[in-house]
Amino acid sequence: MAVDPRLQAYVVNEQLYLDGTVIVEEGSVGNWVFVVLEGSARVKKKTDKGQITLDVLKEGDIFGEMEFLEGAKRPRTASLVASGDVWVGILDVDRLLKDYQLVSPKLRILIRSLMAKYKETTTKLCAKVGAPSD
Amino acid sequence: MTRTKQNNEVEPQANVLKYRKGEQIIKQGDYGISIYIILRGKVEIFRESEEKEVPLAVLGPGDTLGEMTFLNKKVEVRSASARALVPSALEVWHPSLLAKKYEEVPPVLRIMIDQALGRLVKMNQILDRLNLSLQEVQETPESKLPRKESRGFYRKNLEVECFYAPKKPATGFQGSLSGRIKNISMTGLRMEIPSKNLSFVPHGIGDSFQIDTILPNQQPLKATGKVVSVSKRNGRILLGMSFLDLPEHYRKTLWFFMLPT
Repeated sequence: MAVDPRLQAYVVNEQLYLDGTVIVEEGSVGNWVFVVLEGSARVKKKTDKGQITLDVLKEGDIFGEMEFLEGAKRPRTASLVASGDVWVGILDVDRLLKDYQLVSPKLRILIRSLMAKYKETTTKLCAKVGAPSD
Repeated sequence: MTRTKQNNEVEPQANVLKYRKGEQIIKQGDYGISIYIILRGKVEIFRESEEKEVPLAVLGPGDTLGEMTFLNKKVEVRSASARALVPSALEVWHPSLLAKKYEEVPPVLRIMIDQALGRLVKMNQILDRLNLSLQEVQETPESKLPRKESRGFYRKNLEVECFYAPKKPATGFQGSLSGRIKNISMTGLRMEIPSKNLSFVPHGIGDSFQIDTILPNQQPLKATGKVVSVSKRNGRILLGMSFLDLPEHYRKTLWFFMLPT
C-alpha cells in the first residue's frame, strides 16, 4: 500500500529507525501523529503477562491518531517499535489542529466518543489476550 | 465567543427522546440511522448472541450511541442493542446533515478516522470471538431486567387499508381481499377484516398471504405474512400475522417508518 499523497503532503519530517528501535514509548505524553513511509513497525502494549503485539503497521498506516483525535495530550496507549528498518514520517500537527477546528462541534463529539471506544476496546482486548507474543 | 463562517451554520436539528427504565433504545440487527447522545441517565450496551446477552458497556451523559453506523459506511445494521437502565433522556440526531458535514472534514483527518475505525472494527471482531470461545459471558444484575420489546416505537398503531391474497391460490379464488392494518412491527402486523372474507378463502392459523399496502408515509410495503392468531370482534375478524418474508428493501422502508419522529 502506498502512502496517500494527501497524507504525504502533511509530512514535515522523515526519520529512519533501525530494527528494534522504540519510536514511541507507551505512557509518554504527546500528540504527534506518525505515518509509516517505508518498512513496517509493531504496535505493542504492556499487559500483565508481558508485552503483546497489537498490530503491525505498514506503509501508509498512521500511529497516534487516537491521542490526537481525543483532543488532548494524553499518555500513549501503546508503543511503536521498528520491525526491520523503517522510515517514519511525522505529520504537521499544527496544520492538523487547524483542520480539526473546522470540524462541526457535533462531529467532534462523535469522533471523541469513537476514540474513547477505541481505547476501551484496546484495553479489553489486552486484558483478554494477555499472553506474550512476538 | 467569536463565530467563524464554519460554526455560524445551523447545526443539524435534534429531538430529545425520553426512555423509561428498561426500555429498549436500539435493537441489534435493526437498520438504524439515528445517532444518540445521552443527556441524562444510564444506558446499557449489550450484544445478543444465541439467546444470550453479552453486556458491553454502561454509558452515561455525554456518551454517544450509533456513531459506528454513521462513520463506518460498511456497517449497515446495529451491531449491538441498547436499553435505558434508569429513566434517561437522549438527543437524537438525524444523520443526513452530519453526513454532509463529514464530507467537509479535511481529507487527512478523514484518513485518520477511517484507519481508527477499521482497527476498532477488527478488534471488536476479535473480542467477539474471544468472548464466545472463553464463555466469559457474565450477567450483570441490571441485565436481568425484563426482556420485553418495550421501545415506545417498537409496535406502531396505524389505520391503513391493505390488500391481501392467499399465497397458494385457493380453488376458485382469484384476486385480492381488503382489510385494515391496525398496528405493525418489524416482525408482523395486526389486521382487521370483514367476516365475509372468510367465505372466499380459509383464514386458518398457518395460512400465508401476500400483503400489499401503502404506509402513512406514502411508502409502499409488500410482505408475506402467516396467520398466527384469529379473533372475532363485533362481526369483524382480527388477524395476527407474522412476517414470513419481508424483502430487504421493504424491511428498510418499514424500519424508517418505525423510527421515532
